[in-house]
Amino acid sequence: MKQKFLTLVTAFALVASGAVARAADTVKIGLMAPLTGSWASEGQGMKKIVELLAEQQNAKGGVLGKQIEVVVEDDGGDPRTASLAAQRLTTRGVAAVVGTYGSSVTEASQAIYDEAKIPQIANGSTAIRLTEKGFEHFFRTAPRDDEQGRMAAQTIEKLGFKKAAILHDSTSYAKGLADEANALLKKKGTEVVFFDALTPKENDYTAILTKLKGAGPDVVLFTGYYPEAGLLLKQKKGMNWSVPFIGGDATNNVDLVKIAGKAAEGFYFLSPPQPQDLDTADAKAFLTAYQKKYNELPPSIWAVLAGDGFRVAVAGIVGAKSTDGDKIANYLHKDLKHYPGLSGQISFDAKGDREGEVYRVYKVDGEGKFVLQKL
Amino acid sequence: MFSARSAFLSIPSPAPLVEEFLQQLTNGLAVGGIYALIALGYTMVYGVLKLINFAHGDLFTYGAYLGLTLLTSLALTDRVGFALGVLVLVLMVMGLVAVLGAVLERAAYRPLRESPRLSAVVSALGASIFLQNTLMLIYGARFQVYPDGILPSATLDLFGLYLPLMRVLIVLASVLMMVALYLFIQKTKIGAAIRAAAIDQDAARLMGIDVNRVILLVFLLGPALGGAAGLMVGLYYGQINFAMGWVYGMKAFTAAILGGIGNIPGAMAGGLLLGVIEALGAAYISIAWKDAIAFCVLILILIVRPTGLLGERVADKI
Repeated sequence: MKQKFLTLVTAFALVASGAVARAADTVKIGLMAPLTGSWASEGQGMKKIVELLAEQQNAKGGVLGKQIEVVVEDDGGDPRTASLAAQRLTTRGVAAVVGTYGSSVTEASQAIYDEAKIPQIANGSTAIRLTEKGFEHFFRTAPRDDEQGRMAAQTIEKLGFKKAAILHDSTSYAKGLADEANALLKKKGTEVVFFDALTPKENDYTAILTKLKGAGPDVVLFTGYYPEAGLLLKQKKGMNWSVPFIGGDATNNVDLVKIAGKAAEGFYFLSPPQPQDLDTADAKAFLTAYQKKYNELPPSIWAVLAGDGFRVAVAGIVGAKSTDGDKIANYLHKDLKHYPGLSGQISFDAKGDREGEVYRVYKVDGEGKFVLQKL
Repeated sequence: MFSARSAFLSIPSPAPLVEEFLQQLTNGLAVGGIYALIALGYTMVYGVLKLINFAHGDLFTYGAYLGLTLLTSLALTDRVGFALGVLVLVLMVMGLVAVLGAVLERAAYRPLRESPRLSAVVSALGASIFLQNTLMLIYGARFQVYPDGILPSATLDLFGLYLPLMRVLIVLASVLMMVALYLFIQKTKIGAAIRAAAIDQDAARLMGIDVNRVILLVFLLGPALGGAAGLMVGLYYGQINFAMGWVYGMKAFTAAILGGIGNIPGAMAGGLLLGVIEALGAAYISIAWKDAIAFCVLILILIVRPTGLLGERVADKI
């Protein structure tokens, strides 16, 4: 009798604790994104995508039998805010972190996650040195600048330009890309007649354009971000200067055309494929779901890459059968091969970089559409 | 040797160099005109209250956003033509931002009038954050863009100098507003009251001046000009963003100090000068060091004249 009672109590306690555990216990995945600041449109897109994917995953039963909880922190597109955001996320018990967009912002958070042994999967940060520091827990679904630099030099050569001007904005991303392209162009014998940086977040770039024009290039490579690119194009047109501009992948945002208007026509840029150019059935189904829920397309590929980061994080937790950061990182490095992501297959090399070529060349047409170019 | 010589021979004749210099000068003046308009708001408030109104840059942003909303919702330029439409728009925006400035004064500064100055500065920063985030919640975080093709895109071609008509108009409009303000302050009775309150509030009160009303007036005039500057930036550059007041505010604040904070002609001169220094610094030294050059000039000027270019009056006051 006593025995029976004890068993009953134990069983009850077990059931009760199980129920409590199930209610409170979720797998937390962090998202660090620029929800405010000048990259806020990217950050909002990242949040929308990751939340939709989490919803879909939870409808399929979550991960390791638990529901996924997305913990979002705003990095403001600013390195100082990012380090605070990272510290907050590490104390919230997240299994992995997705994000963030700008390279200098990601850089400020890397060491914090690595020390806390939390895998971080950056989605928009392409600066080379991020993966050259030997962080075991750092991955990115974005390609690296040296790949983009190669593509930029190749494109300038293929389009037949001989005198290039390079303009960056002193962020670690833009400067890295500019340096890389500069070195490659010089090696190939293309003359680089101008190399300097503008100050982002201003409205008037006519002083810079006047100086650029004085250098007489036949093409300008601008490696900065879309707000400045839009203004440059608009003010260039106002100057009646018709030199073609080529942009890096950070100019890939629909707001570019909104800012530049008709002046955007003829603008080339390098980028991983556009959200709407993603052609797998999986990606198309996801974009339909996204459009249904939010009534718009994702702002750019970078937000989609955040979605891929989330999926990879989930795959890592499932593969490692654990939320332990070391085990997840180990699985992502060694066992995750050709994972079907939204932006194509994903594998990581030993440094945490994504393997395979991702870049394409786009040109803006007369209606402001981004058209994939075949060079 | 040979190549060096041919390079020497290919140096452009002085004409293009002069042309480029003049071009950069006009570039700088156009930017400086905007800085000057915003700087007036800082300097007037400082003159009367000894308070740096950190929310002033955000009032500038409100001017740009209100302008966009009024422009697209009322379609003024379609109804009454371009010139009249823009004029009405400017007046509406100035009026609305002025009201906002007065509300700001009531809500954020008047309750702290007797508190230590630091409280008012913290309140100013808080107001700035509040205004900025309200704008983000209303309009969203994305860039907003003024509709294309509202303004005439004519460009004057003066001996190879590129002068978009709008740019000339912007400089003219800002100079006009500044001159009007200057005359108002110097020649009218109310202007004299503002000047008196700036020199000594208590004495002004004893002379029968309603200082509260003067302060309110300052918070109407400054934001009106700031709002007009915001509208002009929106109309000309097309791209506006809820956080843009920060950069412009910082620059305008610098301009106000450069010219001697508290001094109205000083703010005008400081704004124009800062714009020109930036443009010429970018052109002849380095683009990337543009801001550093501008601030070095500021430091040099402050070393030689600690109260700014035209700042003697501030010295009197202190």
